[in-house]
Amino acid sequence: MAARFQSQATRPRIAGSSGMGGRWIALSQSNARHDASLQHDAMGEVSEPAHCGNGGGAASERRPRLISLALAAVVLLAIARAAAAVEVAPSDGDWPMAARNYASTRYSELNEVTADNAHRLRVAFTFSLGVERGQEAAPIVAGGTMYLAAPFPNVLYALDLTQPGAPLKWSYRPNANRAAQGVACCDYVNRGAVLWKDKIIYNTLDGVTIALDTRTGKELWKTPLANIQIGETVTMAPLVVKGKVLVGNAGGEFGVRGWMAALDADDGHIVWKAFHTGPDKDVLIGPEFKPFYDSDKGSDLGIKSWPPEAWRTGGGTAWGWISYDPELNLIFYGTGNPGPWNAEQRPGDNKWTGGLFARNPDTGQARWFYQFSPHDLFDYDSINENVLLDLTINGAPRKVLARPERNGYLYLIDRASGEVLSADAFFPVNSENGIDLKSGRPNYNPDKHPQVGKTVRNICPTASGAKDWNPSAYSPDTGWLYIPRQNLCMDWQATEVNYIQGTPFVGADVNMFAGPGGYRGAFIAWDPVARKSVWEIHEDLPIWSGALATAGNLVFYGTMDGWLKALDAKDGSLKWQFQTGSGIIGQPIAYRGPDGHEYIAVLSGVGGWAGAIVVANLDARDKTAAKGMVNATADLKEKTRPGGTLYVFALPAS
Amino acid sequence: MIGALQTAARLHAAALADVQSALDPAADQAQAIDGIWHLMLWVCVPMYLLVMAALAFVVWRARRQRRERGDVATASEGSLYNGLGIWVVVVMLGLTVLTTASYLVDRKLIPAQDAQVKIRITAKQWWWQVEYLNDDPSQQFMTANELHLPLAQKTHVELRSDDVIHSFWVPNLSGKRDMIPGRVNQIELTPRRAGKYRGTCAEFCGLQHAKMSLLVYVDEEKNFASWRSAQLGAAPSPGSEVLEHGKRYFETTTCAMCHTINGTTAHSLAGPDLTHLASRSTIAAGALPLNAGSLAAWLSDPQRQKPGTNMPTIDIEPDDLNALVAYLLSLK
Amino acid sequence: MCLRFRHPDYRALLALLLASLALVGCERERREYSTQPLPETTPATIAVSSLRPGGAATFAADPRGSHYQRNAYDINQGERMFRWFNCNGCHGSGGGDIGPALMDAQWRYGGSIDQIVASIVQGRPDGMPAFGGKIPPQQIWQLAAYVRALSGNVPKDAAPSRSDTISNTPPLTRMPEQPPASEPARHP
Repeated sequence: MAARFQSQATRPRIAGSSGMGGRWIALSQSNARHDASLQHDAMGEVSEPAHCGNGGGAASERRPRLISLALAAVVLLAIARAAAAVEVAPSDGDWPMAARNYASTRYSELNEVTADNAHRLRVAFTFSLGVERGQEAAPIVAGGTMYLAAPFPNVLYALDLTQPGAPLKWSYRPNANRAAQGVACCDYVNRGAVLWKDKIIYNTLDGVTIALDTRTGKELWKTPLANIQIGETVTMAPLVVKGKVLVGNAGGEFGVRGWMAALDADDGHIVWKAFHTGPDKDVLIGPEFKPFYDSDKGSDLGIKSWPPEAWRTGGGTAWGWISYDPELNLIFYGTGNPGPWNAEQRPGDNKWTGGLFARNPDTGQARWFYQFSPHDLFDYDSINENVLLDLTINGAPRKVLARPERNGYLYLIDRASGEVLSADAFFPVNSENGIDLKSGRPNYNPDKHPQVGKTVRNICPTASGAKDWNPSAYSPDTGWLYIPRQNLCMDWQATEVNYIQGTPFVGADVNMFAGPGGYRGAFIAWDPVARKSVWEIHEDLPIWSGALATAGNLVFYGTMDGWLKALDAKDGSLKWQFQTGSGIIGQPIAYRGPDGHEYIAVLSGVGGWAGAIVVANLDARDKTAAKGMVNATADLKEKTRPGGTLYVFALPAS
Repeated sequence: MIGALQTAARLHAAALADVQSALDPAADQAQAIDGIWHLMLWVCVPMYLLVMAALAFVVWRARRQRRERGDVATASEGSLYNGLGIWVVVVMLGLTVLTTASYLVDRKLIPAQDAQVKIRITAKQWWWQVEYLNDDPSQQFMTANELHLPLAQKTHVELRSDDVIHSFWVPNLSGKRDMIPGRVNQIELTPRRAGKYRGTCAEFCGLQHAKMSLLVYVDEEKNFASWRSAQLGAAPSPGSEVLEHGKRYFETTTCAMCHTINGTTAHSLAGPDLTHLASRSTIAAGALPLNAGSLAAWLSDPQRQKPGTNMPTIDIEPDDLNALVAYLLSLK
Repeated sequence: MCLRFRHPDYRALLALLLASLALVGCERERREYSTQPLPETTPATIAVSSLRPGGAATFAADPRGSHYQRNAYDINQGERMFRWFNCNGCHGSGGGDIGPALMDAQWRYGGSIDQIVASIVQGRPDGMPAFGGKIPPQQIWQLAAYVRALSGNVPKDAAPSRSDTISNTPPLTRMPEQPPASEPARHP
């Protein structure tokens, strides 16, 4: 733990070093990197933006800050010397949150494993999580310990990385309610924990957020947030911003009302909670709210854009990713699909579902909102990752949010104002004919418009999207986004559905199948400035793992039949692969172990919505099973089996 | 003479006037159909009588000729062709008139897209789900088995079916239009006379086809507006313990599985929307009047009232039944 | 005239006509819209485990089960309610989703119609909701009869044929009969 107590005064000014929360500034095509202009030390003390490197900034604010920082440095150094003398990795080799940093780049600066030596990667150790359901989590590493959040029953494991074989340091079993399994749409997954100061925090399927002491695993506080009786669950990896734990619910297929809550990280009490449908006072829309597009302006749109009472069962859950810009003091996260899937039962734009919120993390007040899918027709949840990049667009530097969206378009959005700068298809979309940049609205294809009783064929992309929740990574070395995506289309027949609290509220029969080209998955390198893909690798099976980019010119992803692959980040050539025995739908990470070497870690265990046929033993004779996914993955049982194992790789000792 | 004819016409109309009569048109569409009905009647009846008279004459003359002369004289070729020629011309004229009239009336019945009121009716066995549509989604609402239409305004009705083929027929207002699963049909209604009319399902759709009727109220503009705004609101909250008991019973037991009452947790579309049940005059698609007795009979054993209906017979305790009836009757 | 009646063709025709009259009194099946005089109930005690301490491992099947799963009307009402009550939201059209597949021979809690009725009424701890008190007993029997039809365990002349939705499973009239396997290993 000692190495984390480094203040700004003593931290080496290595170009590109970033501690927890460092922000990446990527210039177009240039490999030069600016120093991160905001430093958080790992204690979570937020220093005000230092505005260094660019010459500007509020110089008058600097002096008191520097004094307090110097004081902190002295105190912390003293504590550091007194701490245990185990050699532990400095904080830049850690992975303290699922997205690695607040900008969600999922990029590791470690470069011991390179494109040249990756073929020598060997298994360093493994760990069995004891439950063979979909493993979607990212392992969290800090201070010589690795934290693994397992699917229901949501045991949290802490592995001691300082000992050979990484033995279990402690584990925590939360006694989560079994009945929650009946209202979890897409397997009993958990997308990971988050580290904050001396606490490791995660969510259980039945909607309890729990904070544990990192050293002992003792429960420090727990806050129940979701109500499984109405179909709410929680599967997302929380994010801690300025001492507040951000948690969003899941359950858009059960007609719940979506929300995002902020809990105090010290004691777990709810600081604010914003709903995603209903009156402005529930959605925390107030005088600060300045949406860019006209269709998002107005009062109580969360009621007016729905038939009466429909907003109460309107969905818009927040089960995906959150990013944070400390300079603008805004969090960014997306809302899920509206309920039910049958759009005829909910005419209107259905605000505030299917869109992206920018909120003030202290108060929860919304700053802007952009709706990717007004009156969503195809279950295009908008919860994907938001990669914060500073790019030069048309000669001017812009603060950009890059979003590979479920509808198959890669959006670049000005994260200060919510303006869509560009939206380019990274998949052959036919459900929409482009995005109208003037109004911000998608042009829905009238031929693909579902209607009750009518079968609409070959809608691309399918309901799970051109890319689902599985996050992409950004490499500042190449300046490209690495997007693990799917290539699936669907037939859809809308049916009238009854709302019965606690039961699914869907109203669509769906068959999914491989999209144009016949392959079901692809891994692409996308140049956000040139707005097109650079190279693409096609896979037979859909890719549902996250992506990892490292400074060793490597990108990593996993396949649904169990291969972890390392590709050359520049040309996509395969440098190494390893068969882990069960499909990979988790998020690979890279960390520096206590011995100073680089390790690549990933959870192997197929499941989630895509792997349902394997993990729940579904019947492929029903094309609409698992909301149509079984039809697209009918051969998966032959290709993989359930699993639940951590694999960690490293270069051999010599 | 004219006076006598006028009186006869009025008596005739009065005799035909009824809540469910195609011969008592109260809307533009029914008027057009009524017009062509009368045209066909007054063309075809004389033609029929003429033909019968000609046949009778020929038979009588043949018998007389046989009696007098012993055989039947045949007409000369010339007069035969003349007669035939005249007859063909007459028939063709008649058919042309009728065809043209039919074509023109058909054109009149085609629904325009500029209606002021838009309704979607989904027929289900054996009741009518009625949705009032609106460009502003927050102004839409749902009801069942009863239509209210504004006087002298065009109403466009979209017709769908959830299960088998039904047919929408309000004789006083327009003709029949089938409701076919998987297909959307349309009909337009422009009522010209305020009042109450009765429609019925006109395509055999199962056991209770006969008890699938629809009441249509044509109101003045301001009455229609006030009815509409009342329907938009949620159900009134229970004002007494008995009503609270009824609401709780509704929400926590079988009722919420199939019915909707806005303002409660029940939002199912399998059965009629009951949010403003007490504002309607019948239950079970016109099978029973709305009053405490019929409602109690219906709730305690719907299968006896309308055997085969999809509402099951539920074992309700007497206290629960009384509370439920009271609560439902409070939903104005 | 009398001569013509003695012709063998006419006698055969007459015999055939008289024989067909016998079919007129035949009902294809009896439909009970509600049981009289008292409403239907579900079986009071049903065993889910086949282990019976101290004796033989059998229990008597409820005779009503046989009636419901042979009756086309009841099975078809079950098919209708399977969607009305969102069973398809968790079980797909029989292939499964959040809940297990119902069209195969694997049953966690027993696959006889009585045991299916019990599962619907009582719910099950790993996520099956308890519908007792929400769905009336006769409708639960009808749902259970349809669930049996999904795995081909009803007579073919009672099974529903092509469904009105998008093509999902093979038609149930052509579903091979898959009797419940005895106590399969519980899937993790």
